[in-house]
Amino acid sequence: MSDALRTRTQIPVRTGETTRARWSPSRLAGAAVLAAWAVLFWWLLLTGRIDLYLSTRTQWVVPIGAVLLTLAAAGRLATARTREPEPVRRREAWLMGAVVVPVVLVMALPPAALGQFSASKRSGFASVGIATSAGDISSGELTLVDVASAQTTPEGEQALSARAGEEVDFVGFVTRYDDTPADELFLTRYVVTCCVADATIAQVRVVNVTPGAFGSNDWVEVRGTIYPIGREVIVNASEVAAVHRPDRPYLTP
Amino acid sequence: MAQIAAPRTDHATPRTALAIVGSLAMLAVILQVVEPQRFAWVQTFFIILGSLLIQALPFVLIGALASATIEVFVPMGTLERLAELPRPLQLPAAALAGVAMPICECGSVPVARRLATKGLLPSAAVTFMLAAPVVNPVVIASTFVAYRGRESMWAMVGGRFLLGMLVAVVVGWTVGAVSKDGLLKPNPEDRHAHPVQLGRPESRVRRLFLHLGSDFLFMGRYLVLGATFAALVQTFLPAPWIERVAALPVLSIVAMMVLAALMSLCSESDAFIAASFVPFGPSAQLAFLVFGPMVDLKLATLYAGTFRRGFLRTVVISAFATTLVATMWLQVVIG
Repeated sequence: MSDALRTRTQIPVRTGETTRARWSPSRLAGAAVLAAWAVLFWWLLLTGRIDLYLSTRTQWVVPIGAVLLTLAAAGRLATARTREPEPVRRREAWLMGAVVVPVVLVMALPPAALGQFSASKRSGFASVGIATSAGDISSGELTLVDVASAQTTPEGEQALSARAGEEVDFVGFVTRYDDTPADELFLTRYVVTCCVADATIAQVRVVNVTPGAFGSNDWVEVRGTIYPIGREVIVNASEVAAVHRPDRPYLTP
Repeated sequence: MAQIAAPRTDHATPRTALAIVGSLAMLAVILQVVEPQRFAWVQTFFIILGSLLIQALPFVLIGALASATIEVFVPMGTLERLAELPRPLQLPAAALAGVAMPICECGSVPVARRLATKGLLPSAAVTFMLAAPVVNPVVIASTFVAYRGRESMWAMVGGRFLLGMLVAVVVGWTVGAVSKDGLLKPNPEDRHAHPVQLGRPESRVRRLFLHLGSDFLFMGRYLVLGATFAALVQTFLPAPWIERVAALPVLSIVAMMVLAALMSLCSESDAFIAASFVPFGPSAQLAFLVFGPMVDLKLATLYAGTFRRGFLRTVVISAFATTLVATMWLQVVIG
């Protein structure tokens, strides 16, 4: 008679002393899923691609996640030999496989950052709510985060207005809308607090651009003079040059 | 009387494992050949999906670790003794206990599930689950930072804490005196976690790893599904549409709650987004901050997988109604 007995309630009963330990398919499959995610987290750390998904504020979750996932996978594997057979149903196995699909997606696709497509969806509520004090805006080198945060409060707006006519140097990607004139562009940069899902945009309108020189999503460095006019910030460009996408494409407030 | 188990035909075999690995490899090859990232929306969707999962999974794992620790190290009966307290005391106490759980909403689901299975009153476990992502110190601190320098700062920080507690308690009360079996779906992984064992019991460390992996795998599949929905919405949602209702008194609150549910943001970062909706006013922003961590797309799939039918509906309706009424009252008081 088989050692594996089942009661009417289908609760497995172990007869322990007489059964040899063997690999549990259920625990092995679970260990494989955990290991796949652990590999992704280590890979994100080693390749630096984490900058494409999280802000610098929350990147600490990746090493923590990598270590925990590795420990969980190793622990699951180390405890995968059982006396009771623990088969996996086919449906369960495929569901476990589905959990690994995002790992494949992230690792197989080339590195990319959010671009114009998303900027047009977020522009309505962007560039506000980033807390930088008016004092930070009124002194030092102006950044796109300063520009975005200046529109949060009347004090910030005033502080930025006081710097009209100053030289600025911004890096971002080109955004164009249907009604953007040929000799203008919007210079955009995403501001990410935790992950890309919470991205807002910092954006300035750049005038005096050579028509046709730059297409949407091109990364450029703009040097010029800043003119905040109400809630709109205009940069009169003296130089616009193509640059590579920065290693950290998103700004952190 | 025991009977010999009938042979099952739906068990995965090495061939199934090979088919799954082969499918995943095929997917990688197809992605390389087809280059779907050429389409801007596909690229945006993949980036948002990846970021949601990369940020949330470590918290799910931490939640699963807390859950496994409770299962293995909290003696049977400890939480049942708490369950003997009167319910009017238990629910506020459970909400307040959320202060000690500094994780976001994905991590609180496995913990609540485990608390209920270990004997805590199920409605108290639900109250804890809903309150923890709103009232924990990390979330309150991030709300403070997001609203720093604004007149409404203390109203937002205090309002989020108090309203979060209130809504969690009301939902717990609405869930009522349901039993744990009436509330929780069985976890298929638990089949292997609770065998009736006649021989030597498994060591605590082995059980800890078993429960940790089981909870993670159980929650992980629903998180992937929920994050997929949330990423799709984030990819296509034209936020400017939402802004058009900002001036309408009640609709602005409703719109912010709907937006919070669709965006599925982490409760530790949502204050920065809420603060950016200046046209909506503090009450509507508060609704966003309280409702979002309790009901969103990725949580909906986690709830649907963890709790029995009807629970999701109960949470959505009671959390929505309580948040709406409370924030409408605040709108009258603070504007």
